[in-house]
Amino acid sequence: MSALLRAELLKLRTTRTFVTLVAAALVLSLLVVVLTTLLTDDLSEDDLRSLFTADFSSLFILLLGVMGMAGEWRHRTITSTVLAAPNRLALLATKTLSYAVAGAVLSLVVTVAIMAVGTLIQSAGGETTIGIADLADVLWRNLAVAALLGAFGVCIGGLVRNQVAAMIGLLVFAFALEPAIMGVAPDVGRFGPTSGAPNGVLAVESFGGEDFLAPGIALLVMAAWVGVAFAAAAALLQRRDLV
Amino acid sequence: MAVVEIKDLHKRFGSVNAVKGLSFEVEAGRVTGFLGPNGAGKSTTLRALLGLVRPSAGTATFGGRRYEELDRPSAHVGAVLEDAAFHPGRTARNHLRVLAATGEHPAGRVDEVLSIVGIADAADRRVKGYSMGMRQRLAIAAALLGDPQVLILDEPTNGLDPPGISWMRDLLRHQAASGRAVLVSSHLLAEVAQSVDDVVVISNGELRGRGTLDQVLGGDDGPATEVKVQDPERLASALEGRGHHVERTADGLLVLGATPEQVGGIAAEEQVVVLGLAPRARSLEAAFFALTGDGR
Ligand SMILES: Nc1ncnc2c1ncn2[C@@H]1O[C@H](COP(=O)(O)OP(=O)(O)OP(=O)(O)O)[C@@H](O)[C@H]1O
Ligand SMILES: [Mg+2]
Repeated sequence: MSALLRAELLKLRTTRTFVTLVAAALVLSLLVVVLTTLLTDDLSEDDLRSLFTADFSSLFILLLGVMGMAGEWRHRTITSTVLAAPNRLALLATKTLSYAVAGAVLSLVVTVAIMAVGTLIQSAGGETTIGIADLADVLWRNLAVAALLGAFGVCIGGLVRNQVAAMIGLLVFAFALEPAIMGVAPDVGRFGPTSGAPNGVLAVESFGGEDFLAPGIALLVMAAWVGVAFAAAAALLQRRDLV
Repeated sequence: MAVVEIKDLHKRFGSVNAVKGLSFEVEAGRVTGFLGPNGAGKSTTLRALLGLVRPSAGTATFGGRRYEELDRPSAHVGAVLEDAAFHPGRTARNHLRVLAATGEHPAGRVDEVLSIVGIADAADRRVKGYSMGMRQRLAIAAALLGDPQVLILDEPTNGLDPPGISWMRDLLRHQAASGRAVLVSSHLLAEVAQSVDDVVVISNGELRGRGTLDQVLGGDDGPATEVKVQDPERLASALEGRGHHVERTADGLLVLGATPEQVGGIAAEEQVVVLGLAPRARSLEAAFFALTGDGR
């Protein structure tokens, strides 16, 4: 398992995709934080907490996870991957784990960067900052969400093997479908895998009165989504003939 | 003792019966050619052996164990499959590093196999820019990474130029000479005829013959002789008079069932001037076509 994990992490580091997406997540997140802190004068502590959860790493790691798994079919490398690691269940488990690790690392880099830059700008202007305990609280939530979404992405990539379809489908789901469900039926929407439950974990202030799940429960719901998607992807991978 | 054992293997894809009860073995220290026309079921059989395709019935094992049951399979078995695929954005070296990490092979082995297959100079280029032959060499490097005792290759000469093909033959011979088992598929007999010890011939998912090349494709059409003479008709009727079957060719006569000594003797008796006399090389291709029922 550890050899497999090392190999998967090496795969991640040896194409440009990962580096590019890390850079994009970093740039976008920094842009949002810099603009918000520079242009808004009266940010409260709660505003700052929300701002620091707005790192883009979870979206990027979700897509990266999809690409990591669906890409094995797109580039037809699944055959050589399975030849090297014929236990397909262990293979999927390792890939899922490695994208969880990658998600946490990505989120760590981005979150620490935006917190440092945001806090610097705020304190330079003599404005509100939040303490280290609050920052640490935001940090673990960000890491947990990114790790779980990375894992979720891999499983979705295993289910929808067409990489482009899987990526577009997930984006539509995350940005249109889930928010719509949240609007119409918040009791259902807050259990959603890509924004409902993650917002619960991040303890995002609810918009328009509807409440997200409590962080602990939201975390369990996200884990359950990963579990279900993993089981389905594993069943499919086990049965599939690789020709 | 058989290193690879295929026993009563069946594989259906929906309504297509790709492999129908195939059984054969592969021995160590020998190159076994796995022959059959397009669509015969060669790739399906090899993929079943490698755990990529689930057999509908029967088994395909290495020393009694399925590929998935081997520990560190890439240290036992190396495989090159049809149209080898790589992530286009990864360099050859990194591709091999990933495989070495998975199979727990020493990192230094990567450079060794790169130079064995002769692409060390291009190792740090992205595979995207590789020619077909370079990709094929990279696939072979990947197969050799674990220094395996068994090599399985599906049409490995695809994309190789003539020097590449001859290099491949030497590599396979060398691997077998050092005690390894080599199973190599091809739909072109000529391509493997010079490098195999044993052959397994299949057609339409069924076994058509197995044994040494001579046993399987030796046929029983006996000797044949090509002869060029000044007066072909006179010799032809003399030969036919003695019960030989004679075919008129553009150059002269083809005498079936007679050695050059016999034909020369008869020509001398008939006092015809012989301009050329040679045994005809038996056509392996013809025997192969007859065996596989492929009359194209
Ligand atoms: N995934 C699949 N689905 C349906 N039929 C398949 C599949 N894979 C192979 N077949 C069929 O199984 C038969 C055997 O195919 P296979 O690829 O094993 O032949 P082959 O001997 O390797 O041929 P070639 O020399 O062309 O590579 C063919 O009739 C093929 O159409
Ligand atoms: Mg084939």
